[in-house]
Amino acid sequence: MNTMTASAALASGRVRLANVRQISLVTAKMRTLWVLGGFVFMTFVAIVRIGQLGMTEAAPERTSMAQALLPSRGEITDRNGMSLARAFASYSLWFNPKALGAAGSPLVKTPEEIARALIAIFPDADFGDLVRRLRADKGSYLHRRVLPEEANRVFALGEPALEFPREEQRFYPQGSLAAHVLGYVDEAGKGKVGMESVLDQRLLDPALRGTPTALSIDARVQGALEDELGRGMLETSAKAAAGVILDADTGEVIALASLPAFNPNRSDLAFDELVSNRVSTRVYELGSTFKPITIASAIDAGVVTDLAVRYPTAPFKIGVFTIHDSHDFGPSLNVPEALIHSSNVVTAQIADKLGGAALRRTMMQLGMNERPTIELPARGFPLWPRGINAAGDWSQITTMTVSYGHGIAVTPLHLAAAYAALVNGGVWRPATLAKLDAAHVPAGRRIFKASTSARMRQLLRMIVAKGTGRQANAAGFRVGGKTGSAEKSSQGGYRKTSLITTFAAAFPMDKPRYVVIAMLDEPQATQATSGQRTAAYNAAPVVGRVVPLIGPMLGVVPDSTRDVDISDISPLIKSGEGE
Amino acid sequence: MITKAHRFLSIGWLALLAVCFALVMVLAFRVNALRSQVKRTEDKIIALRLEQSYLQLEFETRASQQQLRDWNTLEFGYVAPTAGQYLENERQLAQLARPDAPGAPAPIRVASLDDSVAANAAFPAFVSPLSGKPLADEAPAATANEGPAALADHGAAAAALGARLAKVPALHQADAAPESTVRKAQARVARVSAAPAKPKVLADAKPAATKPARLATEARSRK
Repeated sequence: MNTMTASAALASGRVRLANVRQISLVTAKMRTLWVLGGFVFMTFVAIVRIGQLGMTEAAPERTSMAQALLPSRGEITDRNGMSLARAFASYSLWFNPKALGAAGSPLVKTPEEIARALIAIFPDADFGDLVRRLRADKGSYLHRRVLPEEANRVFALGEPALEFPREEQRFYPQGSLAAHVLGYVDEAGKGKVGMESVLDQRLLDPALRGTPTALSIDARVQGALEDELGRGMLETSAKAAAGVILDADTGEVIALASLPAFNPNRSDLAFDELVSNRVSTRVYELGSTFKPITIASAIDAGVVTDLAVRYPTAPFKIGVFTIHDSHDFGPSLNVPEALIHSSNVVTAQIADKLGGAALRRTMMQLGMNERPTIELPARGFPLWPRGINAAGDWSQITTMTVSYGHGIAVTPLHLAAAYAALVNGGVWRPATLAKLDAAHVPAGRRIFKASTSARMRQLLRMIVAKGTGRQANAAGFRVGGKTGSAEKSSQGGYRKTSLITTFAAAFPMDKPRYVVIAMLDEPQATQATSGQRTAAYNAAPVVGRVVPLIGPMLGVVPDSTRDVDISDISPLIKSGEGE
Repeated sequence: MITKAHRFLSIGWLALLAVCFALVMVLAFRVNALRSQVKRTEDKIIALRLEQSYLQLEFETRASQQQLRDWNTLEFGYVAPTAGQYLENERQLAQLARPDAPGAPAPIRVASLDDSVAANAAFPAFVSPLSGKPLADEAPAATANEGPAALADHGAAAAALGARLAKVPALHQADAAPESTVRKAQARVARVSAAPAKPKVLADAKPAATKPARLATEARSRK
């Protein structure tokens, strides 16, 4: 029994042991499986993580940086890359009435005290307006475009309700320079007046606004032109002035100035009076500056073949109208003399010989019967003469008055494009404010023969060397050009003392590269102009001062050893004074 | 024994698993840290770029054309260079080195200019085609204002002309010359300034003195 019991007990112990071993084995296997599973899982996680890091992380960061640096509105530069208009994150002064919670006054001091302190910082602010805004429950701008030092002074007032959000705004580092070309951006962020308005789409396009837009303007030349026009305006107490410099071979506008100008940085000020661009918007009777166009048309048509032929200078009557000159130039003048002295009588006779049809055709080819070709949105429509005869051409009197620049009113830009055609070999090209590379220069249309253009270069140079344009004769720059002093028309005819004086020039005349037009509106007779009010004494000196400034910048080096050869026409000139 | 070893093995596996996990976490943290560092750097770059453009704008505004014009009107008075200030080619440059014509007015010189350079640049004496010797030996009159016979040596004369064409380096050369040479040169200067036809050295002439003189000539030519 005992042995039985003992053996049974032994057997059951063995069985239990076998059972324990079995269980331990299973547990060990299970643990190994768990560990293996853990390893597989971790490896999987690691691989997924590495894959995620490698594939998705790097790319979006880079675009975010490019986006952060993308301006809200594209930059505008001049032809050399100088910044004329750019986006600028400036501080604004914002009043937040909820700064100290919804209940109670948001201000520590009284609104009057704060308004007084703010006026000490911004003297142009309005006290009543500030108090009203500070009392209001609604947040509003107290001042836009706050300088950092001004922001610091406002911050020192210790008012938590005065906040300085940084906002992207438009800034013109050159101030009023080329204001009429650029225009401005209004409070709503919309471009107005100039290229800001024309390029609005492009400047706001996210794909394009990262790269600056280059204009054909050269800021240095623009500055020089504005300076000298401003000086001319001051010296003559003129009401306004305008000027344009055109590349004679491509039609690019290198400078375009209209004075008085406005400051596009202060679009909050009312300057509606000043935004009108006198170069492309307003039309003027430009007077004697049209004479070279008439003469060129006559030479081109074969009406004037011999420059030595003399024409009588006696005033003559056409209907009720008498054509006369400003001075007595003796009994007769030839063509070079007529240009040098600016004789209306002789020009009118030549135009009469040329005929209304031919002169009208030339003027139309020069685009004088349509708005000037330029990108600017505001372009003036010329006053195109209506006096038509039975054949549909200009009547005799119209032809004669147009020949010396009366009875037709165009913008100075029309004149600049016409002079470019006159001197560049006879090809008219549209004026443009876009910077052109050699491949994109328009072919233009031929208006004068190359020989006519060569002759006109001599004649224009002669006017500056010996005639009314002498004050524009910048030494070494071979300037050629023509003065024009037209009386302003009013209801009762022409006003003797209100003139539009113009000087239309090109340089260097041996190979013209730039056309310069300077115009003064109602210049007065002052000491600076020797008591005269004609173009020879006010507009011509402006060109005479501008050309030496801009010539070297534009790659025209003064050279006193070169000039266009005028030896074949200079013997035709007798000395004398003209208008 | 086997169980114990087995247990150690499983603990080892567990430890390895923990280490791997820790390594993965370290990698993830490291990546996160780097990523935020990159983000911070980018933010910094953006801030700096904005600051840069802000400063650029301020510079452009302060140096705007109108501001520069005002400064020039008030302070500097620079004017556009005239035709006479441009040289087109080497020929025009060489023309400036022509010796003065007889009876030409003496050019105004500043007091500090070392005249020995000009004196050395006297042209070589003519050589007789017959004897091959300098004419100075045969015609003493020709040597009145000439330097020593050494100047007849073409090489030396050409060097002297070169020195005259490049006056500034020549001045440095004179500075570096030994004392005896300087003394000789000074003696020559004394001789030269005593001679009436040679350029005079104005003791108190300042660079600005050239301007009124030029204005005076212009005024004369206008009359």
